[in-house]
Amino acid sequence: MEYYSPTDLNEAYSLLDKYGEDAIPIAGSTFYMGHREELFDEVEAVINIKQLGLSYIRQDDHGLRIGATTTLNEIFAHELTSKGTFGILAETVKELNINEVRNMATIGGEVCIAGEVDMPTTLLAYDANIVIGGSKGVREMSMADFHIGYLNNALEPGEMVLEVHIPQPPANTGAGFAKFERTAADLPIVNVATRISLDNAGACAEARVVAGAATLSGVPERSAAAEAALLNKVIDDTLIETAAVASGDIECIHDFRMSAEIRSLWVKCGIEDALQRAVAAVQ
Amino acid sequence: MNAINLKINNEHYDVSVKPHWSLAYVIREKVGLTGTKTGCEMGTCGSCTLLLDGKPVFSCLRMAIDAQGCDIRTIEGVEEDNNGELHPLQEAFIQDHGMQCGFCTPGMIIAAKHLLEHNPDPTEREVREAIGGHLCRCGTYIRIVRSILNAAETMRNAQAGQ
Ligand SMILES: Cc1cc2nc3c(=O)[nH]c(=O)nc-3n(C[C@H](O)[C@H](O)[C@H](O)COP(=O)(O)OP(=O)(O)OC[C@H]3O[C@@H](n4cnc5c(N)ncnc54)[C@H](O)[C@@H]3O)c2cc1C
Ligand code: FES
Ligand code: FES
Repeated sequence: MEYYSPTDLNEAYSLLDKYGEDAIPIAGSTFYMGHREELFDEVEAVINIKQLGLSYIRQDDHGLRIGATTTLNEIFAHELTSKGTFGILAETVKELNINEVRNMATIGGEVCIAGEVDMPTTLLAYDANIVIGGSKGVREMSMADFHIGYLNNALEPGEMVLEVHIPQPPANTGAGFAKFERTAADLPIVNVATRISLDNAGACAEARVVAGAATLSGVPERSAAAEAALLNKVIDDTLIETAAVASGDIECIHDFRMSAEIRSLWVKCGIEDALQRAVAAVQ
Repeated sequence: MNAINLKINNEHYDVSVKPHWSLAYVIREKVGLTGTKTGCEMGTCGSCTLLLDGKPVFSCLRMAIDAQGCDIRTIEGVEEDNNGELHPLQEAFIQDHGMQCGFCTPGMIIAAKHLLEHNPDPTEREVREAIGGHLCRCGTYIRIVRSILNAAETMRNAQAGQ
């Protein structure tokens, strides 16, 4: 197994091209090292992508841009992501209560894992896009399209994630995140993110209700029924309950960690909780 | 094999490593510093915690080859950081019996040391959050939390007395 730590993107791309599917880009290494027994036999080259200048958080006219190797604790502490419009990102990180993992794990690593992670759920609620780079150029893909199945993403051999781009949400937007896990060190069993944007009359103009980690499809999913229940209405406790019940359209997975029935119940409870928080957070 | 140099507690060590070898493994088995423990080797117990460029990380989840050029501090360096004396945290863990078998202790102390350096007067909740990723098989949590809070108080008093 070869190890590389390229210092510019072209060097990284040529290594990714050279090794194709036999190369693995590594950022925080918290997932890779946790699975090294299974992974290292299959891998010919490990490419450390932390020296590529992809650790940054900045805002421009199009919204927020977070470089792929930005760590979860950097997101937790940064003024653009710890409060205000994008404060939901720090709230999401806060629910991963292992300081040591948050110091290592990166947003790029989080989005590449379609499974029991939290950030993709929140990013889906914010209509985020994933910026993908390779020797053939840069392309952007929605978070919704990027995950194509459990532990499976849309990256082609030779490509890597460069950045997460979160469009500026409308004014009067609030968001909430809720999560169920067994212990602080456990992966999420259910996570939920909601975002609501209100019109001038106070009615719901845009709604996102997302559940992750729990779904049968293995990827975070929006509840069309819950979102429809909220749209064009003034949100109160009764409506929140109606929307939470409607989220039964998300089919949950039954596995050794939790039965589908209880997961569905937890999705409903989580959505209720996250919607309450979203309403309280509208600004 | 790749030849690398690791800076651990201000000493430099030349070692040969494979890319997937963890920093925890190399520090224990190749460098011979066995204060850092390995319980799970998959990021779920906290016993391998050390400071990498001042931040606590799980050394079982870090490639050793990716720790070159970093400032690594392990439990063996804690006394050195405290002028060769036991650190108030170590004193408090002894005084308050913040351990039974002691396996989780190095990781707990490293995490607590980082907490107290950034937050000298933590609440009990903040202490519990700082050790959120650390398991104690012996279930000594109450005494661990008490040790950390007492060490914090000792350190604040020493600071005030200066
Ligand atoms: C004990 C434990 C508990 C955890 N609990 C949670 C939790 O509750 N919620 C949560 O959200 N997360 C949790 N995590 C973190 C999560 O499971 C992953 O470990 C983490 O998101 C991976 O990030 P990384 O940067 O370390 O990725 P790495 O391990 O470096 O990489 C992960 C995968 O993504 C690929 N990859 C990484 N970056 C890129 C890129 N830029 N382009 C292309 N491919 C890339 C790698 O090739 C690899 O396949 C937990 C981790 C541990 C160890
Ligand atoms: S050995 Fe590293 S966290 Fe358990
Ligand atoms: S004292 Fe035995 S594991 Fe904590």
